[in-house]
Amino acid sequence: MSKILLPHDDKEHTLSPEVPADKTRETETEEEELRLRRPSLGDWLDLRLGWYGFVRKNLDEPMPAGVGWWQTLGNLLLTLLMFQFITGFALAMYYTPSTVGAHASVKHITYEVTLGSFVRGLHVWGSTIIVIAVVLHTLRVFFWGSYKKPRELTWVVGVLIFQVILGFSFTGYLLPWDQKAYWATVVGTNIAGTIPVIGDDLILLVRGGPEVGALTLTRFFSLHVMFLPAMLMGLMGLHLYLVRKHHIAGPVNPQKGPPVAFYPNQLFKDAIVLLFGVGLVIYLAIGFPPALEAIADPTGTDFSPRPEWYFLGLYELLKIMPAGYEIVATAIIPGLVTIGMFALPWLDRSKSRHPAKRQWIIYTGTAVILMIGLMTLKGILETPPEHKAPPVVGATQAPSSMREVAPKSLPAEGKQP
Amino acid sequence: MSHNNSNPQDDTVKNKERRKFLGIAVGVINIALIGAIVGPVLGFVASPLKRRKKGEWVAVLDDSHLAPGDVKDVSFTMRIRDGFQDVDRQYTVFLRKSDDGVVCIDPACTHLGCRVKYQSDQHRFLCPCHGGVFNQDGDVVSGPPPRPLDKHPVKVEGGKIWIYKEV
Ligand code: FES
Repeated sequence: MSKILLPHDDKEHTLSPEVPADKTRETETEEEELRLRRPSLGDWLDLRLGWYGFVRKNLDEPMPAGVGWWQTLGNLLLTLLMFQFITGFALAMYYTPSTVGAHASVKHITYEVTLGSFVRGLHVWGSTIIVIAVVLHTLRVFFWGSYKKPRELTWVVGVLIFQVILGFSFTGYLLPWDQKAYWATVVGTNIAGTIPVIGDDLILLVRGGPEVGALTLTRFFSLHVMFLPAMLMGLMGLHLYLVRKHHIAGPVNPQKGPPVAFYPNQLFKDAIVLLFGVGLVIYLAIGFPPALEAIADPTGTDFSPRPEWYFLGLYELLKIMPAGYEIVATAIIPGLVTIGMFALPWLDRSKSRHPAKRQWIIYTGTAVILMIGLMTLKGILETPPEHKAPPVVGATQAPSSMREVAPKSLPAEGKQP
Repeated sequence: MSHNNSNPQDDTVKNKERRKFLGIAVGVINIALIGAIVGPVLGFVASPLKRRKKGEWVAVLDDSHLAPGDVKDVSFTMRIRDGFQDVDRQYTVFLRKSDDGVVCIDPACTHLGCRVKYQSDQHRFLCPCHGGVFNQDGDVVSGPPPRPLDKHPVKVEGGKIWIYKEV
């Protein structure tokens, strides 16, 4: 005999084909009686899937008093990552991961495919907003001390997700195979070469060869569309499971009042934030369509490589490191920050989650965050203007020239009545 | 299977041992399965480690086109193997003729590999990435690069400048 919970009904019902409901308990309203005897499709499915219970459990998820807007970022991330998955799946239908085809196929996507510039824009801007959202989400958890017992593993899994997202950025950046992509990857992969002893082999392994070329592109593509998504899904599943298991930590100073159900108040806040977050991505995709620079040219000497903006902090750090100490910037500092993040729940031993009660961790964390922020800002300010508006195949000139070419390259078929 | 052995409540020593043995056997089989898939795939993915560099002499410039004291960038094409395809890849190097003969300087910055530019008015190479500066001979003047720019072997034969390039 299985028990289910019907939505919007607090009582438990027994629903079993063998035992009529009226024999097991007092008859309730006639309407309900009828419903249980002739289950709707929803009831039928629920008997097999336990769907109502699942939905119900999630809508009723208790939120400690005092949660609010800061707790909406996780949902925003989840949604934006889904969007990336969907736009990425669509882009992969037109994309070719080869040195011969990559640039041409991205050009084709951007200027010829219906809504191509928009869908690519969603993917490109989505990645930027995701980085911002994941940073904010992490900062919230850090300052609220929400990683404390029993939520240590939720935090650790979150840090892993953070790393996977950066991996997505790094591998995705190369795929258009334009100058920006190529040179950022040359420099980025050379970073692996600064590691003593294994550096040279590591470069070969990351690039698939001594130079950034066809094998680098296929490697990055494979990581970007197979390995990282699989990792991300597993980690996100685990993260959500843990969040549900231990519930949300709530404000630093526990507030009076009973827990509130997730639905409707918090869900509504989530929806508002999603509206703005997704709206922002759509606005950016339309207002600032992604450009495509000239095709990757290993000989070009007139190009100043720059990484994506959120790696600019690291890039600036490399500038100020004196000769011979680049490993400090490439491996030691990022490595320490990463280890520090993983170990945070164990570094911070205080029982209290209140910032005033765990000062050294708050000060250290704030210092690190400020350093990263300042370095990033310095990098952004020092970006030469021509890279703010990419020059070669700008969104303004190329479409018109592409439009002239397109009919010629698409003969007969396209023109038939 | 006898009734006794399949009963989880059965705590006889024999049954305990049997369960332990089967548990270990399952563990060993699982490790073997993981090894069977991970081993080959790792070897497959690590294939680039086996790649050895091959070198080739290329004629890049008529000797008469390089005046003493000059630094000139020359481009040339080499047919290289790039993954599954043979491609003509263009390379650029700097040639400099000094009293000791011709030197060939690779433009890849020794810091993190950006292409250096030659500034003829200041007789120096400048790296656009993190501001590395090298003098005409490729030695570090300032900035983060840890060592001088790499040089390629050069020979002058039949009125042409040849360089030895590894790819
Ligand atoms: S790559 Fe040339 S200074 Fe860093």
